[in-house]
Order: sequence, then C-alpha cells, then structure tokens
Amino acid sequence: MREHQRMVFSIAYHFLHNGAAAEEVAQDVFLELFKKLGTLESRAHVTFWLRRVACHRSIDYARRNKGAAAEVSWDELPEPSHSIERGQAHHDPMLTKRLQQMVAALPEKMRMVVILRYQEEAGLEEIANTMGIPLNTVKSTLHRAHAMLREKIGQALGEANV
Amino acid sequence: MNRLEEELKKALRQVEPPTGFAERVLARAASAKEKKKARWLWVLEWMEASTWRWAAACALCVVLATSGILYRRERQRKGEEAKEQVMLALRITSSKLQIAAQSIREIGAPEGPQR
Repeated sequence: MREHQRMVFSIAYHFLHNGAAAEEVAQDVFLELFKKLGTLESRAHVTFWLRRVACHRSIDYARRNKGAAAEVSWDELPEPSHSIERGQAHHDPMLTKRLQQMVAALPEKMRMVVILRYQEEAGLEEIANTMGIPLNTVKSTLHRAHAMLREKIGQALGEANV
Repeated sequence: MNRLEEELKKALRQVEPPTGFAERVLARAASAKEKKKARWLWVLEWMEASTWRWAAACALCVVLATSGILYRRERQRKGEEAKEQVMLALRITSSKLQIAAQSIREIGAPEGPQR
C-alpha cells in the first residue's frame, strides 16, 4: 500500500484540490483494493487498477460534491514531494501554484487527462484504457487542454504586465 | 517536450498523503472486517440462544403455511359457490325463455278447422 499511496492520493488531490476529500477518496480506493486483491494478477495490474479506480472515484466524488471545490483555498496546497524534487532544476512556486489553479479550472475529463499525462506520465493509450475513452478523444482532449491553458497563461501574463 | 508541458509536470508532481494515512486505511479496513464479523456473530448467537426461539419460529412458519392453505381453499370454495349460482340463474332464465317461446308459438299457431 505504501508503494502506491502517493500515486492514488495525488490523483485525487490534484483532481479535487482538497486534502480531506482526497484522503477520503484514496481511503475508499484502498478499501476496495483489499476486497479485490485476490482477483488482481500482478503488480502492474494492481497499479493499473488503482489508477483507474482512483480516477473514477475522484470524478464521482467531484460530481457528488459539486461546488465544494470552489471553497478551498489554494494556499493550502502542499509543495510537491521533496523526494522527487531533489536534484531537479529550480522552479517558480508562484507559477506552479498558478498552473495548478488553471488545471483545477479545466472540465472534469480534461482535468483527469492532464493529471494522468503529467502527474503519472502515462502514454495516450494508457490514459484511454484507464479512463475508458477512445484514443482519439484523449488526443483531442489533451490538445484542447493545451490550447486552454496557453490562453489562460497568456491572459495571466497580460494582467501581470498591466 | 515544450515549456508548458515541463511546467505542468512540475505543477502536477505527486504529493505525499498526510501523516498516518496508511494507518487510517488499515484501521478502516479492520473496522469494516469487525462489522462484517459482528453481523455473522449475531446470527450465530441468535441460532444458539435457545430452542424456544427455534420452536417459535417453526410454529410461526406452520401457522403461516396453514393459514395460507386455508385462505386458498376458502377462496376456491367461494368461487365454486358463485359459479353454481350463475349456472342456476342461467338454467332458470333458460326455462323461462322456453316457456315464453312456447306461449308465443301457441298464440301464433293457426286455430283448428272451422265449420
């Protein structure tokens, strides 16, 4: 469990941008895993299963609790895990936070595609399998997400220059 | 990979769950298991509790089954009775109609030879 808890929690966390909600979803995912453990064949299968269930549970949770996410302050977001950060180039925390806000404002499916692509570094086909959507939909969704994010960044830079 | 993608990777890095996350999950799993076990224990305890309960349950089953059978028979008997009444009414109607038809025939029949 310790091996996968960061992955499951992070999917829920980046999607719901709420620590308590992410923990609830992640706990539910692991409880479901304990029930299904006998049916999962390999380590890779467990990872795939956890990723898929974390995605679906997060989307379900967001749908059930519409509006709750808007109440969360983005100042509560923790910094990315130090173990990963070590040895990498310095980055601007303000830009990171701004991008997290922008991703959080994306539509549900688009948000999840972006999270799987950049948090999990999943391939397009892997994303399609995880989310149960066609490959072409993943491609077009990601393309639209890039366009939307670029536009938002453009607007943010424009505002900053004024 | 372009700049946007690099920044997205940085922004969406995995984060550590809060301290004690694994322990809380295990506690929830244990509690769920206990609840499930408790449910079965209740059934077992109930079964072992006393022969009176079993006797009462069996008696209740017998009463329910008997009353079901009696109710069914009663309904069948009433149905038969109603059927007989309808048949009787039809027979009476039929005989009345026959009498009426006879009378009509007699009225309509030519009288005997006249002198």
